[in-house]
Amino acid sequence: MEMFLANYAYGFTLLILCIGLYGMFFKRNLVKKVIGLSIFQAAVIMFFVSLASKMGGTVPVKWDEIPVEMIDGYMNPLPHTLMLTAIVVGVATQGVAFGLLVNIWNRFKTLEEDTLNEAILEDSRD
Amino acid sequence: MIWEFELVLFVFLVFAAIVALEARNLLVSVVMLSVFSFSAALLFASMGAVDVGFTEAVVGAGVTGILFVIAIHKTSAKTND
Amino acid sequence: MKRSFESPITLLGARALAPFIMMFGLYVIFHGHYSPGGGFQGGALLAASVLLMRVASGSKTSSLILSNAVTTPMGVVGVLIYFGTGLLAMLLGSNFLDYEGLPIPGMPPYYLRYTGILIIEVGVGLAVMAALVLIYDKMADGEVTE
Repeated sequence: MEMFLANYAYGFTLLILCIGLYGMFFKRNLVKKVIGLSIFQAAVIMFFVSLASKMGGTVPVKWDEIPVEMIDGYMNPLPHTLMLTAIVVGVATQGVAFGLLVNIWNRFKTLEEDTLNEAILEDSRD
Repeated sequence: MIWEFELVLFVFLVFAAIVALEARNLLVSVVMLSVFSFSAALLFASMGAVDVGFTEAVVGAGVTGILFVIAIHKTSAKTND
Repeated sequence: MKRSFESPITLLGARALAPFIMMFGLYVIFHGHYSPGGGFQGGALLAASVLLMRVASGSKTSSLILSNAVTTPMGVVGVLIYFGTGLLAMLLGSNFLDYEGLPIPGMPPYYLRYTGILIIEVGVGLAVMAALVLIYDKMADGEVTE
């Protein structure tokens, strides 16, 4: 039971990671692929955050009742900072992805992968 | 960390992710992705990462949701997946 | 942006909600150096309030809040605030972005560091807000590339 309580978050994180990967691989629509990318990114962030959390620890803000030397009382703030950067980079990635999507729609009038491949072949033949 | 609360949130996350990927209407997908982001933000806050949870709530549900909606508005909301 | 229908209820709701989101964004920016939050989160909140008005009311009304032509100079000003703070500290003899070298009289060094982070967060907030609104503008009424 102790083992399960300590580790079940990793199992769920892996499940969400697989769902995101499934969306990126097997969905034909390009917007669905971006949604899969977003889910995948959230799963990676969740892995790092659950790596940093401790049973019985509190938020990493300095508090007088727990001295700084007692490291078991605080969660590890380093993965949090790294993941803050990851979220910011994710927004930039999605902004570029939306720009590409709107441009693809304006040129080929489709976002489905099958018809898009045919349209690109047709376009390069001319 | 309250593990019962986190278990409920994880089940919610998996459900929202599957619905977001399987819906036929892309607007439904975007709304479910916002639900996914909010649940993830609650989960981060409950795991002790207050800053990450706050950023995820602002960015994932606010700005990215609006950008998704405008991208779908400029293209089309129907799909066969 | 072309709208398929026009609803006074969404417009009223957005107009009621946007100032509060903006206020909260300012709060997050100005308390970011000692509590959760900071420049990026506050800038994203400010951008969310502007984007809410743009989605709800179309581009003509919402450009009264933040004009399309203003966003690029605003982002540049934000980056210049960040860079100028660091460069000013470097020109006055300490390292780049070392806030102890800032020329604010009557402040002990630890309080000077505290204030330096606040100045930088204002710059980051401006730049993030301008960039996010700019992405929306370019996507909503950008030209068709043919």
